[in-house]
Amino acid sequence: MTADALSSVCNLGVLDSLSEASVSEILESWNSFCLITEAIVKGDDSGLSSSYSKFQSYVSSLCKYGLRSLVEEHFLISLQDMLEKHVAPKFWKNFDAYSNVTDLEENDKDMQEDEVELLLCKALEEISLEKQYQEKYLLMLVKSLQLCKDSTSMEGHPSDVEKFFFSKYQLIVSSVLMTTLPRQFPEVLHRYFKGRLEELSTIMAGNYEDNELQDGNDMELYGKGKHATRFGNMDIDGSYDQKKILENKLVRNIGMVVHNLRSLGFTSMTEDAYASAIFLLLKAKVYDLAGDDYRSSVLESIKEWIQAVPLQFLHALLDYLGDSISYLSPSSMKSPLASSPSSCYPGASKPSEGIIRWQLRLEYFAYETLQDLRIAKLFEIIVDYPDSAPAIEDLKQCLEYTGQHSKLVDSFISALQYRLLTAGASTNDILHQYVSTIKALRTIDPAGVFLEAVGEPIREYLRGRKDTIKCIVTMLTDGSGGNNNGPGNSGDSLLEELNRDEENQENAGLDDDINTDDKQAWIDVQRWEPDPVEADPLKGSRYRRKVDVLGMIVGIIGSKDQLVNEYRVMLAEKLLNKTDYDIDTEIRTLELLKIHFGENSMQKCEIMLNDLIDSKRTNTNVKATINQLSQTGSESREREVSFDIIDTTIISSNFWPPIQDEVVNIPEPVDQLLSDYAKRYHEIKTPRKLLWKKNLGTVKLELEFEDRTLQFTVTPVHASIIMQFQDQTSWTSKNLAAAIGMPEDTLQRRISFWISKGIIAESSGEDSNDHLYKLVDSMADGGKTGINNEELVADDDAERSVASVEDQLRKEMTVYEKFIVGMLKNFGSMALDRIHNTLKMFCVSDPTYDKSLQQLQFFLSGLVAEEKLELRDNMYFLKK
Amino acid sequence: MERVEFQKLEFISEVFTSGFICLWHAVASWTWDAHDETCGICRMAFDGCCPDCKLPGDDCPLIWGACNHAFHLHCILKWVNSQTPQAHCPMCRREWQFKE
Repeated sequence: MTADALSSVCNLGVLDSLSEASVSEILESWNSFCLITEAIVKGDDSGLSSSYSKFQSYVSSLCKYGLRSLVEEHFLISLQDMLEKHVAPKFWKNFDAYSNVTDLEENDKDMQEDEVELLLCKALEEISLEKQYQEKYLLMLVKSLQLCKDSTSMEGHPSDVEKFFFSKYQLIVSSVLMTTLPRQFPEVLHRYFKGRLEELSTIMAGNYEDNELQDGNDMELYGKGKHATRFGNMDIDGSYDQKKILENKLVRNIGMVVHNLRSLGFTSMTEDAYASAIFLLLKAKVYDLAGDDYRSSVLESIKEWIQAVPLQFLHALLDYLGDSISYLSPSSMKSPLASSPSSCYPGASKPSEGIIRWQLRLEYFAYETLQDLRIAKLFEIIVDYPDSAPAIEDLKQCLEYTGQHSKLVDSFISALQYRLLTAGASTNDILHQYVSTIKALRTIDPAGVFLEAVGEPIREYLRGRKDTIKCIVTMLTDGSGGNNNGPGNSGDSLLEELNRDEENQENAGLDDDINTDDKQAWIDVQRWEPDPVEADPLKGSRYRRKVDVLGMIVGIIGSKDQLVNEYRVMLAEKLLNKTDYDIDTEIRTLELLKIHFGENSMQKCEIMLNDLIDSKRTNTNVKATINQLSQTGSESREREVSFDIIDTTIISSNFWPPIQDEVVNIPEPVDQLLSDYAKRYHEIKTPRKLLWKKNLGTVKLELEFEDRTLQFTVTPVHASIIMQFQDQTSWTSKNLAAAIGMPEDTLQRRISFWISKGIIAESSGEDSNDHLYKLVDSMADGGKTGINNEELVADDDAERSVASVEDQLRKEMTVYEKFIVGMLKNFGSMALDRIHNTLKMFCVSDPTYDKSLQQLQFFLSGLVAEEKLELRDNMYFLKK
Repeated sequence: MERVEFQKLEFISEVFTSGFICLWHAVASWTWDAHDETCGICRMAFDGCCPDCKLPGDDCPLIWGACNHAFHLHCILKWVNSQTPQAHCPMCRREWQFKE
């Protein structure tokens, strides 16, 4: 661009007034100025210092003619030109090797780490030098301009001019670099910071450990030192101070790099790079610490690590840079941790705003990472719940901080559906998991809102299982949980739960009471807290009270009556099979259940237990008086001995569940004893009488074999069978059945017990329908029958002494069968609800219909199985 | 097969010579033997207890009148005490006398 061309832009009137001499002066000055500028820009430093005064005079003469803006423009444009053409390409050239850095990736990463570091440092140093050089001459120009400022006097304060120029220059530098930025540069930066941070963290970890174990041996220290040396290229042998120095040096190096990058205008990119490096490192650390171990809390150590490594680093870095970052953080945003100044800042009296911001960011990130990690594994964590309590505690803290509860709910429900609520899982396991879930989530969320959401699918699923009630009752009553391969102690814990609830229940009872006095009501009101935002408004807040495990369990079934009924049946079964009168555990369980379900509903169970206690007393009484009698009288000695073997449980049959009656002829001597016993009872307790249930009870037998005796504990029926063989070693099934007084098919089922033991052998007699049973009389024979072992059918149901709840229900429901059939005849088809409602409406007298929908459904499905009804599209039809 | 835990499926294959009963734990139920189902006053089962009682049996005994009608002791006592001057059997309106 020439002077003419430029001056044409200027005020043309001025041009006219210019003399010939002035024009030539301008031209000369301009040309010389251009030359010097070019020299400067080219970096031809040699003769320049001498030409400073000349430069100055040219500038001032040009300024004199009002060409100041031209001078400024030209100088800056030349600088920019230079930057664009030479400096930037040269700088970027350094990183060409990494142009496809993403492809190289893992394999030679380690090798590159040091390289990247050196390269980056070198390149930055070079470009910084270049920049300093240019800045020097920029300053020269500024000074020259300032000298002739008076003549033009259009600018304000001299420092303003300088600032203006430097910011303009800065802008040029960064925009030039930005526009030519190769795409791999952020990756290079990221990699650099990652490398440095890792190095730092090893050093810090070393320090940290040293502090922890002051008496750590030298070997280890030495090892650590060497480790650090390898990274830092420093010649030290691993003492604490030297590590400190190393650390400082490292931070200083990083600080230098950051400083250089910032001066090149990469402030935000740099920050991104080291932030992402820190986060990556933090993430790795969280994963490393958290892992798959749920038995210890990791949150504290993560926090400590954050304090020890990244914050320490940032602290040093920000200190080095003089904390020039202008964080616009409002001071109101204090973290709870910031309010208690941590002792982890050795030098700083008070952490700066920037550090606090960083700490908040890092901690949030750590919480979130840990939370995600734990939520993903929540199912496993809950499986080994009591042991994994620390992990749950961690998760709770994380969630308190992040508030992402809904994430937990969603992820856990899908895990449940995928892993637990499948046909393959046993009801017991599901229940155990449910209990653990309740307990675990109760820690996380005492209000129970999320528990409600998570529990719903489990409850829904369990309602569809037939044996749910039975399993629950088993879990409640005995520790083994009824399932031998199930986790053994969880049942105990449910019992414990009953125990623990004891005192809570007192309060809960008050809550539900309508007649709570005003004071209590006021306390309740004061305690009220709004539901969390996530609460489902459709579910009233009364659900929130049901955080107790038992309440939730009963919630599965819907009504406590069913549970109590099942418990009664189970208790009856258990009590009838007791040989001693030891019912302490049952009493305890009952007391606990009474607290939970109320006295009235457990009334019958209490009577059952009371029967046992009474039986014990009566039994001793009867036996003592009989023995007295027989001693005074001249009864046979034999009988006296025999009475000791009789024990009796006397039940109040009205309060027990229906008991299965089965006729059986027990051995004559025992029968005699029992009738004597009954007689004596009648004498003592007139006018009460005893009615024997001869098929029930337990018999302890000792069978003598050739070389040894064996003890068996069997039912009276089994005992009767084997006793028959004492007198006669072989029986046909018909005769035996007659002798025992039971149907042949029942006999066949029962005798299989002895066959399986190899004591009785079965063979088909002359008549194909008449089996022949005889005692095994030789080893060989025994071996042969042993093959039949597998035939043994474990007919639990047939052996039960008490009718199961289903049987009872079926019996009770048969009354309604004809109603149902009649209804279906009239209406053709009906849905379950409609049948239920119709029955409720019309069966009001005599057999009042008081069954639940589930019970009806159960009964109807029985009818469908018997092919009396048909079920299509949820509608019931009469089978044609 | 809960009751046979003792020798669970162990195969003995030896010659059995004689058996001996160590303990026969029998089960029985008691009854008042009142030749009727329910108490004529409270309509509860005789073998149960009157509405005021919790436990049946000794705690809530039956009593027979001279007319051979049985009632829960507590029920008839309440009845007798409410009747002045002379109580009658609620069933047969005969003068109420406790059976000796």
